[in-house]
Amino acid sequence: MAAEARGIQRWSGWLFVSPWLLGLALLFVYPFVASLIWSFSEYDLLTSPRYIGTDHYERIASEIVQGKGFGKALWNTFYYAAVSIPLSTIMAICLAVMLNWQVRGQAIFRTLFYLPSMVPMVATSILWLWLLDPRDGMVNGLLSFFYEAPPLWFQGIQEGVSTSSPFQFGSKDGLTLMSLWGVGNFMLIYLAALGDIDGSLYQAAELDGAGSFQKFRHITLPMLSPIIFFNLILGIIQSVQAFTQVYLVSEGTGQPAESSLLISLQLFLAAFRDLEMGYASAIAWVLFVFLALMTWGLFRSSRNWVHYRGVRI
Amino acid sequence: MARPLPIVILLLLAGIVAVWGATISLTNETPLDREEVVFWHFWSGSDGEVVNDVVRRFNASQSDYYVRAVSMPGNNFDMKLFLSITGGDPPDLINQDDPIVGDWAFRGAIYSMEEIASVEEVENMKDWLLPSARSLGEYDGRLYAVCNGLDIRALYFNRELVEEALGRSVPDELESIEQLDMIAELCTQYTDGELTQIGYLPDPRRLWAWGPVFGGDFYDEQNGQVTASDEAIISALQWMQGYRQRLGANAVATYRQNDQSLPNKMFPLLANRYAVILDGQWRVRDIEAAQKVSRTRGEPVTRYGVWPLPAESRQGKTGWVNGNVFLVPRHANNAQGAWEFIKFWTGLEGHEKDAAETCVAGGWIPVSKHVAESLEFQTYLSEHPLFARFVDFAATEQVPTPLVPGASRYYREVNNLVQRVMYDDEVVDLTAELNMLEQTMQKHIDRIRSHPSFAEEQADE
Amino acid sequence: MNNVAGKWKWMALLCVSGMFLLPLLLMLLASVKPAEQLTGDPYSLLPDRVLFQNYRDALESIPYVKYLANSIVLCVGSVAGTLISCSLVAYGFSRLKWRGRNLMFAIMIGTMLLPWHVTMIPRFVLFSELGLYNHLAAIILPTFLGDAFYIFLLRQFFLSIPEEISEAARLDGLSELGIYWRIILPLSKPALITVAMFQFVASWNDFSGPLLYLSDHEKFPLAYGLEQFVSSYADQTHLLMAASVMFTLPMIILFVVAQKSFTRGITMTGSK
Repeated sequence: MAAEARGIQRWSGWLFVSPWLLGLALLFVYPFVASLIWSFSEYDLLTSPRYIGTDHYERIASEIVQGKGFGKALWNTFYYAAVSIPLSTIMAICLAVMLNWQVRGQAIFRTLFYLPSMVPMVATSILWLWLLDPRDGMVNGLLSFFYEAPPLWFQGIQEGVSTSSPFQFGSKDGLTLMSLWGVGNFMLIYLAALGDIDGSLYQAAELDGAGSFQKFRHITLPMLSPIIFFNLILGIIQSVQAFTQVYLVSEGTGQPAESSLLISLQLFLAAFRDLEMGYASAIAWVLFVFLALMTWGLFRSSRNWVHYRGVRI
Repeated sequence: MARPLPIVILLLLAGIVAVWGATISLTNETPLDREEVVFWHFWSGSDGEVVNDVVRRFNASQSDYYVRAVSMPGNNFDMKLFLSITGGDPPDLINQDDPIVGDWAFRGAIYSMEEIASVEEVENMKDWLLPSARSLGEYDGRLYAVCNGLDIRALYFNRELVEEALGRSVPDELESIEQLDMIAELCTQYTDGELTQIGYLPDPRRLWAWGPVFGGDFYDEQNGQVTASDEAIISALQWMQGYRQRLGANAVATYRQNDQSLPNKMFPLLANRYAVILDGQWRVRDIEAAQKVSRTRGEPVTRYGVWPLPAESRQGKTGWVNGNVFLVPRHANNAQGAWEFIKFWTGLEGHEKDAAETCVAGGWIPVSKHVAESLEFQTYLSEHPLFARFVDFAATEQVPTPLVPGASRYYREVNNLVQRVMYDDEVVDLTAELNMLEQTMQKHIDRIRSHPSFAEEQADE
Repeated sequence: MNNVAGKWKWMALLCVSGMFLLPLLLMLLASVKPAEQLTGDPYSLLPDRVLFQNYRDALESIPYVKYLANSIVLCVGSVAGTLISCSLVAYGFSRLKWRGRNLMFAIMIGTMLLPWHVTMIPRFVLFSELGLYNHLAAIILPTFLGDAFYIFLLRQFFLSIPEEISEAARLDGLSELGIYWRIILPLSKPALITVAMFQFVASWNDFSGPLLYLSDHEKFPLAYGLEQFVSSYADQTHLLMAASVMFTLPMIILFVVAQKSFTRGITMTGSK
């Protein structure tokens, strides 16, 4: 009987996952192979692709060296990720800790903190374009108390988190601010993880005379580390894929002076504006390899700092 | 667990809206006995009304074709069109203003007019168009796009401010770039050390205009060479950089923040933020509207004027032209109907009066001198002297962005470089940068051209 | 002592909520301000006069109901596709044992790391050739082929259902499809609702799909229609804000109505 059931399971398993298998073939395997072939071809969608060798990869290499085009987009994406991921991680943890306080109206606060994350990206972009207007925006209205020349946000090429123009915030910093406002999803995940921490750990620490900070440092953080790890990986993927907001705040051009040109937009422009499908495919592949290496590296390093409670994902 | 009742109500509501929405049709009905011509454009608001009126007049004059106009507002309009062509569902006719004609012609995304009309008709059309209008559509000896409205840029100035600064009456034309610089300098004002008014500030996107005015060419048609590092273009960029150095990148970016030339943005000249500004003929209406407001309020009426760009050297061209062009996507269902509509709009074959009416309604510059010379249009011009100057400029030597495959990237890369020069205080080695850009673009364009074009491929078969 | 600390905490929470809500509040206020006030006195908080006219003007400038209907079709279609395909696949990955299952599962997790750009262009070409260009189906159909993230989520949930229940059902002669439909699905309502809502929000917000695949006004959903609106009315902040509020409101309502399962769903993704 059991053996028969297993026999049925053997083929019915494949049957059950067949929608995904079809999806894998159509939406992943075919595009994967096609884009790999096109990355070595001249292809404009209208005429058939022609093999041209490694031209596109050479262009990518030279653009990285010169810091233009893809090189510029790579730097922008790196800057955006390097600033927004740590900030959003810290912020999400802090907010989660705050929401974990046992105070009156806790449920309401949870709702309020999360609400901005429900605002669709298109509306978020419109809203922040207006709030961060250099001349008429509310944010600069406030900042004018601290600045002689308030930041230019989406109209500026400055990088506010750098030594060359500290606190002179430009287009990428505006994007970062937008991402911080919508940090709610991660916040909730941290909140759940906080709820899972065994209260007796804190009691034991208190008996040892640990203060709030020490408890946070030695119990909360290590217990959250698997989530932080998850957050990092997802954050990297999200930065690389960020498209809607970048497209909207720069009118689809990455302006000014390519300062908000993130990789996804560069790829999009190359493909559908310059009609360089081959080059765009090459970018996609470089990106894929790059992401794979990055994820692999993170997984390797995670052994040293991520504490699983005897469980592995 | 979610409460079921609100969800049920929501679903019901959603269902009602979905059914309601399905019954709404945004497109109007095409008569059964006519062939439909689907026409995409990006005009909306009052311009959209003008377009609808042209379409209505055309449809009334016709018994074979029926144009259905679809307004597709949005940036990246050209991309959308390209996707529809590759997606296999293109409209029959489109109107747009990006420098993609050469690129799309080379790749076979659009028909040349020779493919859809008789040789004679195309020759008539070529003769009909002003040289500047023709230059926007000719590629490889064929007419791929028909211009229906020229965009001419010139220097608008606030007569009161300039007169006051000069201490004498304002000249009709500028003698030289130096004179423009001098006026710009005089009209730039600081209050408490803060910049409050700018005399003149070159727009980063307009190296395309200033390059030719300084006597340079971006592209050598004869030899197929990119010539971005032309001496004259370097000096034009140097000249633009001079403004950034004097005003500081921050001021430039703050003043430039809202795209000056987007039709929707308020014209900064009217806010007294500038004394002189480079912009297109559509601003005449903004100026006239503002003057009318002052007049009805009994306030003093600010006078404005316009100068052509001051050609720097003898070889200098008078300016940079772009404009709206009609394109017929390849595999359009009804290319013939599209061609009829193009002729109607541009005034060919006895439609001068209609064309003049269109131009008057939209404040557009006619693409043919026959239309410009028509009585209706001349009457209009006599009432709008500022606009009349633009019509004159349109007949002078105005150069377009080069029509060459890969032009969209060329256009973008140049603008990116100029933005870098204008928005960043760092000193850029202009010659080196332009040289590098030239090499990169040459390689880019050569690579595209190293494959047979669509037309050549067709000829082989 | 404790009480004082509690008050401080409360104050801190209040301040932070204020910071989060302020932009939304400003959007709401701007949506009823007269246009002159927004350009003339950009830093003022309260509207000089409350103008609901802005909403009417915005509604007249875009075919809101048409776009809304398209959004709903898109959302409902995608949610249906996701629920059907993902639950089936998740069942296969959790409740059945078959050779190659672990390998397939690993591959599926791997596809989650793939940036959408890699597949964007070939997918566009493929869909155009299938004649799906300019059809809502181009956006809805892929959801019937499963999504790694949701499959993962549902699988985790299905795994928590005791195996004995299935064994008993098998002894009763129920087929695998019967077990899936009559036993597992009813037990997994919370997880299914979560996935449904995730997909609903994702479809509601989807911008790049319509950007690539739709060219006909008749078919635009709100997310894309709004962008079109932006490019035509860039200077009309009051109308933009009114349109944005109308675009956001359904999401907020959805969130308030289904808040519990929503937060629960998000936390489920994290803690496992």
